[in-house]
Amino acid sequence: MSIWGAIAGGFVGTLVLTTALSAASGFGLTRMDLPFLLGTIVSSDRGRAKALGYAMHFATGLLFGMVYLGIFAAIGESGWALGALFGLVHGLFAGTALVTVVLPAIHPRMGTPFSAAPDRPLLEAPGFLMLNYGRRTPLVTIVAHIAYGTIVGGFISLAS
Amino acid sequence: MRDAGYSPLREYGAIGDGRTLALVSSKGSIDWLCLPDLDSPSVFGAILDTQSGGSFSLAPEPPFTVERAYLPETNALQTIFKTEVGVVRVTDAMLLPGSGLVPSRELARRVEGLSGRVPMRWRVEPRFMYGSRRPELSRRGETPVARSGKDALAVSSWDAGVPVLDETSISASYVACAGDDALLALSAAHEEPLVFPSRTEVESRLMSTIAFWRGWSAGRTYEGPWRDAVIRSALVLKLLIHSPSGAIAAAGTASLPEEIGGDRNWDYRFCWVRDSALTLHALMRLGCPQEGESFFWWLLHASQLTHPRLRVLYRLNGSDRAPESTLPLSGYQGSRPVRIGNAAVGQEQLDIYGDLMQTAWLYASSGGDLDSDTGRRLAEMADLICELWRRPDCGIWEVRSEPLHFTHSKIMCWVALDGALRLAERDLIPRAHATKWQREAEAIRAFVDERCWSEEAGCYVRSAGSTELDSSLLLGALMDYPSERDPHLNATITALRRELGSGPLLNRYSGEDGLGGTEGAFLCCSFWLADALARADRIDEATELMEQLIGLANDVGLYSEEVDHQSGEFLGNMPQGLVHLALINAAVSIGMKQR
Repeated sequence: MSIWGAIAGGFVGTLVLTTALSAASGFGLTRMDLPFLLGTIVSSDRGRAKALGYAMHFATGLLFGMVYLGIFAAIGESGWALGALFGLVHGLFAGTALVTVVLPAIHPRMGTPFSAAPDRPLLEAPGFLMLNYGRRTPLVTIVAHIAYGTIVGGFISLAS
Repeated sequence: MRDAGYSPLREYGAIGDGRTLALVSSKGSIDWLCLPDLDSPSVFGAILDTQSGGSFSLAPEPPFTVERAYLPETNALQTIFKTEVGVVRVTDAMLLPGSGLVPSRELARRVEGLSGRVPMRWRVEPRFMYGSRRPELSRRGETPVARSGKDALAVSSWDAGVPVLDETSISASYVACAGDDALLALSAAHEEPLVFPSRTEVESRLMSTIAFWRGWSAGRTYEGPWRDAVIRSALVLKLLIHSPSGAIAAAGTASLPEEIGGDRNWDYRFCWVRDSALTLHALMRLGCPQEGESFFWWLLHASQLTHPRLRVLYRLNGSDRAPESTLPLSGYQGSRPVRIGNAAVGQEQLDIYGDLMQTAWLYASSGGDLDSDTGRRLAEMADLICELWRRPDCGIWEVRSEPLHFTHSKIMCWVALDGALRLAERDLIPRAHATKWQREAEAIRAFVDERCWSEEAGCYVRSAGSTELDSSLLLGALMDYPSERDPHLNATITALRRELGSGPLLNRYSGEDGLGGTEGAFLCCSFWLADALARADRIDEATELMEQLIGLANDVGLYSEEVDHQSGEFLGNMPQGLVHLALINAAVSIGMKQR
């Protein structure tokens, strides 16, 4: 297990994850757009937000690659199947806590269930399992994260 | 069943917090409240079923008369109850969250004794899930609590008697003496623990809520005629804006009937794309750029999933699913079925593309930024309209009869392509297909002029080849089709007023719509008429009509969707955003012409 495997896996995994979500959006499966959601934390300009969001998403992807590496090291085992399992947990965590609870709490332009008349958010909150962004969003998100985990797990294992 | 305990709709005032809305009757009863959000199931639904809907009543025990008004330029409602033994004043408001740990939703009722000694009684009868679930009642310390599934309510009271719990309600009686100040607070929780506020906290939030509404009203830039009515309408719109997302609900209620005892009972707690252009126009005209920007972002986000096609309506959270179903409630004065959801979501209505393009134009014209991705989407939508406009559709009124070539729909397709061309001229959207848009826009104009104009009637007609009339044609005038100088505009206004009008009131249309029963006069159509008259330089007529329409509001300045021709009673859902939008736009148009 090496840090370079985690970096490479994190990069490729995020590339696949982002592409999968963009494709799903293009096919009308979800309104989920992670780079856009991340980018609008720092900019209300849609174009700039998407560009910044991609950079932030890749940085986040690399960070999670390191987290995967740390857990693999702690349990002394790695591999694409274990990575896929981590990806499943990661996807569920994203859908129930990370994007659903944490992101609205820190996002200056996103509404929350507690937003009231004085607030004028530019983005609707994702809601439980991000269902506000389309019925198929949970499925798409979890599948994409399983793919990410598989790739990260595979790269870390290959770099051992 | 008629009048069996039901208050006339005209007697309701609305309070809200930008997430949900409660209707308070002049008898002091809260008969409508959905929690946690406006489109959630009701916990107080007595307006749809006095027996099992649930309510929160608060009133003197002896007979009383009532005077009501909103605290000036706020959404806090004051009701003064006058009895033979004294006078009390009740202030109702849904509280806005301040800092610290606050209930997720909170409603306060302050009771002040002004004179004498008035026996008072209050009773909270929560009925969760549209009355289908009886609550489990218990106490947490001194505070009564009602629970059901994911939802819970705490009923805190101070100097308002000792609460008594029975199987289904929490109630108390006490005497309000001159100088007494009692307080009741309803705190709600959904999927989380209840928060129990102190009296000081509730009083502080009540004051800050009133201060917020006053500050918000003071920020409105309107100084034209009928200012009080315009500001009240703006405050109503603000209540209908769903703060967590920026969406704007069409109305605050579901299934209030368009005919007493009839079956035209629809759920309006959704955001219609159709209202978008009028909404944005009104918000911009009143100096609400942030609400306008928030709404435009929401609209783009909500419509992304179905792009380039649009749904007729979206849920307040952006979802495009609104399956229609009926509830086992008796309905307002026996008006059944009681529907939630709205089947119109699946209809094809071509006019909405014009509304969205006009919204984009208004947004960009007022300084809003259209990025390249949005521009591309709008251009793709214009391309789609070139394909769709020749099809029949269900039209603005969402008829459930056979689709027709509705004149208004064709006009709005022209508005869409005209808007796309204007945006392309300013390089805000790609102009690669502008020639096609121009060609198709001219084809639409030719279609409307040749097939939707009746020489016999001397005006535009409801649909191609028909002889029926339709008030929605006034919206064409508001979107500059035909232009203010076009003689067709004046002729159509005159014909509509003559054939569909009765005093200040206007029916929607003549002809079939696939539904049984009748309906009242549509108030928004009357305001569109006043607006169109102003645009046609018929200022005196517009002003006179506007004066009459302002007089049709209830005692606190609210409107429902319709008014009964004979009795003048309110019909349909309330408060109705489209009516208040139309009031604002008509007042501004008349004011501009008067200058």
